[in-house]
Amino acid sequence: MMRRPRLDLRDQPLAGGQPLAFGIGLAVALFVGTLLLLGAGHDPLKIYSRMFEASLGDPDAWAVTLNRAVPLGLAGLAVAVAGSMGLWNIGAEGQIMAGAITASWVARIGGEWPGLILITAMLIAALGGGGLLALGPAVAKAKLGVNEIITTLMLNEVAIRLVQWLIHGPWKDPDAYNFPLAPMLPEQAHLPTLFSRAHGGILIAIGVIVISSVAVKYTAWGYELRIAGSSEATARYSGISLPQKILMVLVLSGGIAGLAGGVELTGTADRLTETLSNGFGFAGIIVAALALMRPSGVAVVAVLFGAVQIGGQSIQTLGVSSSVSTILQAFVLFGAIGAGVLSRYRILFEGETHATPEAVDK
Amino acid sequence: MSEASLIGLFVATVSFGALLYLAALGELLAEKAGILNLGVEGMMAIGAVTAFIAGVELKNPWAALVIAMVSGAALASVHGFFTVALGAEQVVSGLSLTILGLGLAAYLGKDYVGQPPGAELVPVQWSGLSDLPWVGPIIFKQAPIVYFALLMGIAVSLVLANTRLGLALRAAGESASSTDSAGHSVLGLRLGAVAAGGALAGASGAYLTLSITPQWAEGLTAGRGWIAVALVIFGAWRPGRVAWGALLFGGTLALKTRLQTFGVDFSPIILSMLPYILTLLILLVISVRSRKRPSPAPAGLGFAYRREER
Repeated sequence: MMRRPRLDLRDQPLAGGQPLAFGIGLAVALFVGTLLLLGAGHDPLKIYSRMFEASLGDPDAWAVTLNRAVPLGLAGLAVAVAGSMGLWNIGAEGQIMAGAITASWVARIGGEWPGLILITAMLIAALGGGGLLALGPAVAKAKLGVNEIITTLMLNEVAIRLVQWLIHGPWKDPDAYNFPLAPMLPEQAHLPTLFSRAHGGILIAIGVIVISSVAVKYTAWGYELRIAGSSEATARYSGISLPQKILMVLVLSGGIAGLAGGVELTGTADRLTETLSNGFGFAGIIVAALALMRPSGVAVVAVLFGAVQIGGQSIQTLGVSSSVSTILQAFVLFGAIGAGVLSRYRILFEGETHATPEAVDK
Repeated sequence: MSEASLIGLFVATVSFGALLYLAALGELLAEKAGILNLGVEGMMAIGAVTAFIAGVELKNPWAALVIAMVSGAALASVHGFFTVALGAEQVVSGLSLTILGLGLAAYLGKDYVGQPPGAELVPVQWSGLSDLPWVGPIIFKQAPIVYFALLMGIAVSLVLANTRLGLALRAAGESASSTDSAGHSVLGLRLGAVAAGGALAGASGAYLTLSITPQWAEGLTAGRGWIAVALVIFGAWRPGRVAWGALLFGGTLALKTRLQTFGVDFSPIILSMLPYILTLLILLVISVRSRKRPSPAPAGLGFAYRREER
């Protein structure tokens, strides 16, 4: 007779469980990808080596991968900051757009300003734009208890349409032959490059991630945040004002996502477009989840995930449909989600107990 | 504004309404059982592409519809496996499902882009009724899947409200542990609801490629899955109210392409924001009112359930 399996919570998560989970996700993706590539008549080995070459093979490849990791990491950080308090910010995609809108607006009025001042003003505006879009959901959650998952999700669709409206209407470039395009950014509004095509946004992202990680992990503010995230009751007994914390954290989270939009605009884009974000906000949720909602973990995950994305794009020149890379990403995610669960649980079969020899020894 | 163009607007409103309703009903089923599935967009895309491929290969629209529903259910079961069986985060798994569904749909459909459809679900003629002025074209001359959506809405309402299965399913969404104590399988109920929801999302996608725009292209679903998620909230998790909401939101989709022909100087882009903004307003109203009466959202929505949780 077959015994039914069940999940049993481990006393402690497996050591190194999360890197292992990501590795397993990657392995699953490679396996499924091999099947897909063989099915489409490609040579998997050739495709995979091309993916690696194009994403991590040389400094030029690293530059592109790191540039991609910037919006992924900042969006991931935005989600993780909210997540350390148990809140879900699903609106990073829209907040990135909002940040790009306000940064573009600054570029429109400050076209003659010197570069350093213009870029700084644009990035501050981006921070504010993202925070502003998160303000509604933040107030609704803090004051009325409205589920932030849905409010932030809905505002994504609103923000993307706002960009469409701007570039089809008020911000349409009169010199673009009637194409719905926003005007090009001023020349001095572009972030300086570090090496190859890698831009200064990488330093900004690292800085913001380090500051946020330290703030969440080592300050009283961050401690209160994590307490509020683990237990509402405990937080209330220790005198932490939950509504105030919720408000602050969600607006901050939106601001960080907005900053991602500003950096992406000044770093890699020529102008505001409706595809500026291109799913970075949703990918940020995945990055944060793979980093177990720890701000300190998002940087590494963002670089790995960026490499998967850039590698996936590169194989289109070999005639592989871009959908293969999308599917690979999805399998990395599901593989990692599954492995992440199993690093916290173990499978036991009916009749077995969770008592392990080590546990008995204690 | 001519009579014909006004009738055309209402015909399209009902048609888009049915499209959104099918997907929203599916999401409602899953959420009633306690599982938030943000993969609607991906499931619709899979339904749309498999229906189109089956139409081309089999030349039978009904077989295509069935295949789309099975594919939608199969994809939804991936979410079911991860969230119900493994207890993974529903938000993360659902968004991953959207990515997977859109990717798979693009992969499967790449040889079918721009091809003529092999099968279509054409509007039904109800002998005399279809010739009535106004109501004839608007109600009695729609594609069969519109009536299917209506039937599904009635069926879901009846099952949820009047059967033991429906009661158990709602209980699984309100309080999983007491449902378990009462001897029902929370696992089975939730997996079943998620799969059934996927089948309905698949049918919604099939409606796109078998009737509304009978061809396949990447990005065909165009964010309508997110409107379906919004609709469930807009309709306060009730199949009847969701139907009215679907007509309203369907109306905005229908109006979007017609504003110019009506000579209305209003941006269609701003109009397309309306469903989301209305849903946000409704959410606010619900939460202000819920200080006096309980929220209509299932109490256990979004929470994983495991026996013997320590």
